[in-house]
Amino acid sequence: MRTCIITGAGSGIGRAAAIAVAEAGEFEYLALIGRSMDKLEETKSRMQTVSRVELFAYDLGDLEGIPALVERIYGETGQIDCLLNIAGYTDPQPLLTTTLESMRLTYETNVFAPFMLIRECTKYMRLNQDGAKILNVASTAGITPRPGWLSYASSKAAVVSMSQTLAEELAEYGIRVYCISPGRCATALRRKLAPNEDQSKIMQPEDVGRIICQLVSRSEHCLDGQNIVVRKKL
Amino acid sequence: MYSVVILAGGTGSRMHREVPKQFLALAGKPMILHTLERLERIDRVGEVIVACHSQYKDLLKMHIAAYMLKKPYTIVDGGETRQQSAWFGVQAAKYEDVIIHEAARPFVTTGEFQALMDCEADSATYGLDIPFTVSVQKDGMIGGILERDSLVNIQLPQKFKRTPLLAAYDQAAKDGLIFTEDTSLLYHYTNAPIRVLPGTPNNIKVTDSVDLIAGEAIYREYIVGRD
Repeated sequence: MRTCIITGAGSGIGRAAAIAVAEAGEFEYLALIGRSMDKLEETKSRMQTVSRVELFAYDLGDLEGIPALVERIYGETGQIDCLLNIAGYTDPQPLLTTTLESMRLTYETNVFAPFMLIRECTKYMRLNQDGAKILNVASTAGITPRPGWLSYASSKAAVVSMSQTLAEELAEYGIRVYCISPGRCATALRRKLAPNEDQSKIMQPEDVGRIICQLVSRSEHCLDGQNIVVRKKL
Repeated sequence: MYSVVILAGGTGSRMHREVPKQFLALAGKPMILHTLERLERIDRVGEVIVACHSQYKDLLKMHIAAYMLKKPYTIVDGGETRQQSAWFGVQAAKYEDVIIHEAARPFVTTGEFQALMDCEADSATYGLDIPFTVSVQKDGMIGGILERDSLVNIQLPQKFKRTPLLAAYDQAAKDGLIFTEDTSLLYHYTNAPIRVLPGTPNNIKVTDSVDLIAGEAIYREYIVGRD
């Protein structure tokens, strides 16, 4: 059963991507992961799909539980074809008020959880005859200096690097690794980074969700291994 | 079904490294894993036997577990010579059809293993034309000319029938003869026909440090691009 795992599916870009991927209909099983079951239910209710949609209320800060989570999904579907690492966390602070705990929380969600998910999914993706895809959502904050966003910006830089490294390391298995770096996008996370911004005038999660959907479609095979900046110019 | 013997008995002395070259990282993973992962995808491989220095057996077992390799594995002691390592490996084989490969040739493809198995001959090797001149040297002087067209650069993998190969190893031990690879050994003792399949210049044997650098390019362009 062609399977796609989507993290951060309860809101923002994750929700938009889940809805777009569901409508595209390339996967028979969608595993939506998010902290809040209510929000996941809301995402599911907005989907128009004949695919099976399963909801997993899970805090990705629980890194130790990720292997069992992936194994459970694989046990239900018999294959894993796509992983979308979209869940994100931010606690913007200047250096002198950035705590180790804040740094740790940010890296857990933005770097360590994707790493664990990729590692565990790769164990099964390697077995696929026709390859698999992994897409990580980084940020333009990871490629340009962002004073006051140290933890978030540096964690996203790590996501870019991890994606590019794994694109080469996993190529022999037919696993394509994509990385997108959205610019300003109207999400709750963005609201924490830029509280006073008029979000009606910036890129919307649906814009990014559609691009993610295009990248993970079967027909796309040229854009992996590079950091793709997704930014609305006007 | 085939028993595949992987020669990984080196200790790294030639490359002056702390670990043997078969465990050095190539394109992000230990060199030997390149071959082992490809064998995993071939149904006709019934078992894999690795001849490995006893000091590195635990390291090899750890890698086999980490990469979730499912074929039946047997790890035997490497010998004092390459020939002895191969002998130990073939002794441990349970199938009559045996393939011998070396961990230091990580750019072998699944297709090359398959073609070797498909070959109708009992014994076969890969070989490559020699694009340069090879002459006989004697006391620092040219001592003879070899006909390049009649020479072949022998490459692994190779396949054999286990019974005559074991007999040849036995006899070589009694005679105190050491061969640099196993088609020479078998041919010496049996004159058996040994088919030469066309090899590829990409299937290099990683011997020196510079081969690791070249290997990264071969991996990227040849293995990822085509395998």
